[in-house]
Amino acid sequence: MKKVIGSVIGGVVLMTASSAAMAAAAGGPNCGWGNLLFKGSKGIPSHVVAVTTNGTSGNNTFGITSGTNGCDASGTLTYGGRDMVQVSAILDEFSEDVARGHGEALNAIAVMIGVERSDRELFADVMHENFAAIFPDENVTAKEAMVSVNELMKTNGQLSKYAV
Amino acid sequence: MPCLHWRWGIFYGIMKYKQLLITFALLFLSIVQAAEESYVDQLQKEAERKSLWQQSEWLNLLHYRQPDSSLQVFESSVDDDSFFLSEKGKRDPRLELQATLTALFRGFEDDNRQPQCRFVARFHWLSKQLNIKQSNLPKVECKDYNEWRKLVQSEKVTLIFPAYHLNSPSSMFGHTLLRLDRKESEEWSDWLSFAVNFGANVDNSDNSIAYAYKGLMGGYPGQFVVMPYYKKILEYSRIERRDIWEYELDLIPEEADRLVEHLWELKEVNFDYYFFTENCSYRLLELLEVARPGVGLTAEFKVTAIPVDTVRAVERAGMIKKAEYRPSRETVLQSMIAELDQDERLILGQLIEMPELMDKGHFSKLPEEKQLFLAETAYKLLRFRQNKLVRDDNAAKKSHQLLSIINRYPTGSEQQVSRPVQPEKSHHSKQVAVKVGERDNKSYTELGFRMSFHSLEDNELGFLRGAQINIASIRFRYSEEDTLFLQQLDFADIFSLTPRTEFFDPLSWRVRGGMERVRRDGRDRLVSHISGGGGYAWNLGGDGIVYSLMTARIEAGNSFKTYVEPALGAAAGFLLHNTFGTGRVELASEKFTGGEESTRLEYEQNIVLSRDQAIRLSLKREWVPHEQFSELGLSYNLHF
Repeated sequence: MKKVIGSVIGGVVLMTASSAAMAAAAGGPNCGWGNLLFKGSKGIPSHVVAVTTNGTSGNNTFGITSGTNGCDASGTLTYGGRDMVQVSAILDEFSEDVARGHGEALNAIAVMIGVERSDRELFADVMHENFAAIFPDENVTAKEAMVSVNELMKTNGQLSKYAV
Repeated sequence: MPCLHWRWGIFYGIMKYKQLLITFALLFLSIVQAAEESYVDQLQKEAERKSLWQQSEWLNLLHYRQPDSSLQVFESSVDDDSFFLSEKGKRDPRLELQATLTALFRGFEDDNRQPQCRFVARFHWLSKQLNIKQSNLPKVECKDYNEWRKLVQSEKVTLIFPAYHLNSPSSMFGHTLLRLDRKESEEWSDWLSFAVNFGANVDNSDNSIAYAYKGLMGGYPGQFVVMPYYKKILEYSRIERRDIWEYELDLIPEEADRLVEHLWELKEVNFDYYFFTENCSYRLLELLEVARPGVGLTAEFKVTAIPVDTVRAVERAGMIKKAEYRPSRETVLQSMIAELDQDERLILGQLIEMPELMDKGHFSKLPEEKQLFLAETAYKLLRFRQNKLVRDDNAAKKSHQLLSIINRYPTGSEQQVSRPVQPEKSHHSKQVAVKVGERDNKSYTELGFRMSFHSLEDNELGFLRGAQINIASIRFRYSEEDTLFLQQLDFADIFSLTPRTEFFDPLSWRVRGGMERVRRDGRDRLVSHISGGGGYAWNLGGDGIVYSLMTARIEAGNSFKTYVEPALGAAAGFLLHNTFGTGRVELASEKFTGGEESTRLEYEQNIVLSRDQAIRLSLKREWVPHEQFSELGLSYNLHF
């Protein structure tokens, strides 16, 4: 019975709503952040897929993403030996936070690098002061940005212990 | 005992040393095996005696449903052979339990497939119920599971509700997922917690119609997916522009552990998926039922599981400790623009075109905080406009320029966005209405029922202004001359009014389909129709929205020569929110290809009595060829 009702209701919504909002045919299983400020990603946003069924597309993940979903995987931060944060996916947020000197993306990156809580403010300040070094222009890739972050930590007495 | 000595003596006499050793080993093995078999037998008998298979914990772990609770008929929602250890497991909880006990003592080629590792929650529950001796079990190393658990920790569980957004019908209902947090979340970062999402696992080769169709009808299998929460923040906050509500649950560590153990069992396991019933929200409630046995959250969701209703169920069960609000990037941007005066908005418009204006005279005279605020707003606006677009080199260059400007100033603070009413505090989703009125000088009484969800005029607390989504509503009318008849049946009735501003230019639209009684060819007749429209809306004052739409309608009815006729028309209206309720006035007109015309002026005023109760006044004037008449009504609406 449940299914029957679902079908009837579903049919009408399909007819009426789908053409309006779902007409933009879903893109491929690409990275989905085609709008990035910085280079290093491509493709049509696959958000339509997610919107339609609250679903996921393509490579199935259970914990950590193993595939890159079409995104540039360079500059990926690992945790416990597994890929955790695809910096390229949050480069927009990260660059904004570095420019401002605060924010959740900046904090997440600090945590991933292993910066202790007591040093996070310093980390944020150092990043803020060196925005131009990390993001010299709009064509920086995530990998280049993360290399710069590492170099900056190396040259800071307090932060050098987190550098590799 | 002497007998045994004697027999060993004989053996010793007639066998060589090596043979003895082999025989001894074989004998030992068979004894151990026999003991093991009998131990499994014992456990199975004990499980039978305790009727373990009928216990809700077991039924929940295997996701059994009972289509009819008076019959002992079961079927698991899991549609995946790998999830069951008995071939008949999908429909037989009893056999499945017996098979699980047997398999627990069996060696597997790969330890990771052994039920101790693969079905951790089942194993732990059975161990506890039957006091299974760990020493009797085969030794296994759960490498995959242990690695995963090291990563996916869950001292805290948070229910996540990405709220509604206009212009996207499927998100109009909201969505739910879970987040597994580390205890010291401030030491950590929410961004790096794990999100648990249940959704359809879609096929990328399908086109959009197939997506929608299969998604709604169960054509895609549903799966649980675990991913870092930051991906979900990006998806909802940036791409879909939806605010997110985060409800910390009061699960104790033991319960949270059980949830994660069970989640592991669902790794890459296919479920049936239906958009309205066994959807994301329903499955999450099942997870919480596994975490806290006896909490009984799913019982009320037999027909639909609207996400906000499932949040309410969790709230009623007393599981919510606190709620956090995470505004979307659009919400933050809107609140920043709202703080600007007319001159500043002008500057903002120029800044996104020419960031270098920041260095020009009139701008540098503004206070420093204002300069920073404007630059940040401009950056957010520029990025917002790039949302969903392919990377544009020019916009990227300007964005980078703005970031460099923002970077010149000392560190500022986060924009504080005022927190709206929590969505679960809104009126309930179902509605009944009793109405009395008069149409064309004849009185009537009307009874209505609506399955879900919210109309423009309903109590707005906890909803988005200008967003209406109604699924399955029906009204019966009893008039003084006729008997009881069907007045209206809407399958869907969606209306999205998104005001345009100088910086945002969204479309507004509506779509409705079903049956209704309308005046055609001199009398009221029941017709089937699909009607829709698109246009613009604007804010008028702080609480008003004015709109105008071009409309179209396809109608099937006996009064037409060709049975089905299309019509074109227009509609304009005004929606006004007051402290006592919401009112709407609309003028709409349409003309059919066969010449039939209809014009209506309607006014509806909702007066809120309480969260779930309202009085609705409606006035209507209709003009059709050769006649005009009025209708008025007063109704009492109750949400439940």
